Amino acid sequence: MEWKLFADLAEVAGDDRITVSVPADATVGDALEALLDDRPALRERVLADDGTLYDHVNLLRNGADASLADDAAPDDELALFPPVSGG
Amino acid sequence: MYVLDVATPPGDDPSAVVDALRERFADEGAVAVVRRDPSLADADDRTTVRLGGDRRRVTTDSRASLPGTLDDLARDHDFALTVGFDDAALPRLAVGDVAVDDPLAHVADAADLDPDVVLAAIRETEPHESLGSLVAAAKRSADERFAGAIATFTGRVRAQENADDAPTEALTFETYADVAAERLDDIRATLEARDGVHDVLLHHRTGRIEAGEDIVFVVVLAGHRREAFRAVEDGIDRLKDEVPIFKKEVTVDDEFWRHERDA
Repeated sequence: MEWKLFADLAEVAGDDRITVSVPADATVGDALEALLDDRPALRERVLADDGTLYDHVNLLRNGADASLADDAAPDDELALFPPVSGG
Repeated sequence: MYVLDVATPPGDDPSAVVDALRERFADEGAVAVVRRDPSLADADDRTTVRLGGDRRRVTTDSRASLPGTLDDLARDHDFALTVGFDDAALPRLAVGDVAVDDPLAHVADAADLDPDVVLAAIRETEPHESLGSLVAAAKRSADERFAGAIATFTGRVRAQENADDAPTEALTFETYADVAAERLDDIRATLEARDGVHDVLLHHRTGRIEAGEDIVFVVVLAGHRREAFRAVEDGIDRLKDEVPIFKKEVTVDDEFWRHERDA
C-alpha cells in the first residue's frame, strides 16, 4: 500500500510517497509501523511518548478519517498530514 | 481557463505550434493568445493580447502583469496560450531544444505536435480562476433569474501583520488534491442545499503565490443578501478547517510551515 505524506511530514521522511508491504491481515497501525521502520526520523514527529499518534496529526485511509485499529488492504492509499492551513 | 505557456529556443518562431494549438482548442471553447512582444524595447512592460473568437488583436502598453491579464481573460475564455513568459510559473510545452524544468509535454517541432495529446494534458492541470471568472460563472447559472445577490470572499497574501512585522515575500501551498476536491465538493453541496442559495463556487490556488496576490475565492449566488453573506462566511470557515491544504511562508529572513507557528 502507499503512504502519502504532506508538508513538514514529507520533509522529515524525505519523500511524499512511500510504498510499504504488510501481511494480508494487517491493520493501519501495522502499515504505520512499516512506514516508521523505513523512515525512522518520522517516528518522533508523529508519535507521542505513549506510542499513539499526536492529536494534531491527521490519519486518512482512502480519503476518510481512519484509526490505527482499522483493517488495511494492499491497494489502500494511506495519508498522514499536519493541521490544515489553507486560505 | 486552462493556461499553457509555449517555450521555444531563443530566435525560433513559435507561431506554427501556437496556431495549431489554437485551432484545436477553439473546437472546445474560447481561446486567448498572450504574447510578450519582442519587438517592443521595454518588453517587460508591454503585452500584446490576441483574443480568440473574433480574433481581435489588442496591444496594451499598460503595466498589467501576466497574472492580472490572465485574471481578466479567465472571465470569458476557456484556454490561454502564452508566449514569451518563460519566467512565469505555468504549465509549459517545450518545443525543440529548449531548457524547461518539468515540462507538461515536449515536442521536437510543429510537425511532431499532436494537439489532442496536449489538450488532454492541460485538462489535468489546475485551471486559472480569478474572482472575475468565478463571478462570471455564477452569472451564467441556470438559476441566475432567481438570484438578487452575489457575495464573495477573496483571501490574499498579506505582506505584513503590522509595520514592524518581517515582510512575507510569498506563500507556497501544497494540497492533497483528491481529498481536497472531495471536501470542497461536500462544502459546496451542503451550502447549495440551503434555502435561497443557488450556486457556490470555491477555488484555492496552489503553488507559490506572491505577496499581494489572491489565494482563495468563495462566490455565492443567492436569492437575497443575508443567505449570501452567511454562506460565504461558512464556506471560507469550513474550507480553512477541513480542506487538506498546507501553507509554507517565505519571509525576508525565514521560511516555515504555518501550522508550526500556530501550534
